[in-house]
Amino acid sequence: MIVWLLVLLGLGSAPTTHTVEIRGMEFHPAVLTVAAGDTVVWVNRDIVPHTATATGRTKWDTGQLTQGQTGRYIAHAQGTARYACTLHPTMHGTLRIR
Amino acid sequence: MSRSRYQAALTVAALVCATSLHAQNTAAAPDLSDPEVAHVAVTANSIDIDMAKFALTRTHNAAVKQFAQTMITDHSAVNAQAAALAQKLGVTPADNAVSQSLLSGAKQARASLEPLRGAAFDRAYLDREVAYHQAVLDAIDKVLVPTTENAELRKLLTDVRPAIATHLEHAKQLRGQLGSPSRTSK
Repeated sequence: MIVWLLVLLGLGSAPTTHTVEIRGMEFHPAVLTVAAGDTVVWVNRDIVPHTATATGRTKWDTGQLTQGQTGRYIAHAQGTARYACTLHPTMHGTLRIR
Repeated sequence: MSRSRYQAALTVAALVCATSLHAQNTAAAPDLSDPEVAHVAVTANSIDIDMAKFALTRTHNAAVKQFAQTMITDHSAVNAQAAALAQKLGVTPADNAVSQSLLSGAKQARASLEPLRGAAFDRAYLDREVAYHQAVLDAIDKVLVPTTENAELRKLLTDVRPAIATHLEHAKQLRGQLGSPSRTSK
């Protein structure tokens, strides 16, 4: 009963932290589904620097991440947020924010 | 220089300085020592850094500038990693005929770009970058990785490969956006 009440009040799921690994010049996973309020952390495993930079209307940017560095973004607006690496425009990723 | 080492030098030089399929398909079994492989890798990175620095003094195209800056950033990061690994392993990169051939090829490429300006320069620079990265990929696959004995040095080469492949795609994409005239500069 208490659980149902929490779910109905939207209190049943605390914000979660998700990790996207950047390795081999790709985002892993390339498509990630998160809840609004969740935090996404990108960690760069490559030798070369990368960014995770929004390409849509909502602007956000991790800045340059050298090997081992992390950057984060709290997913606010629901919808699909596409992003890319500004240094390597062939690298793309997507956040599905529900 | 032994005959087999001389053949290896010619092989890598052919892979990196030429773009003909014939040259790539006639790659012979290589015989480079690890210190020589390390020197070739550092030289190959340095050549592209220098070419990018030169491009930044010539191009007025924002996308080409960004590409050149990425080449400087990425190849500098790789060279820093290579230097750190060489120090860790106690390996002193050894100059060799392959490195010398690469430098000679770079000098020729620079000379062919020297008189060009504007869009003609951008196209020729990107043509060179496409050919160079393709040749470096082939050299990694057919010569440098197979010939490297040290596992950590071999891992560095395989870790670098995706970045070279991405540079190649980036250069092709940009070159496609610049359009004709026909590709004449190598």
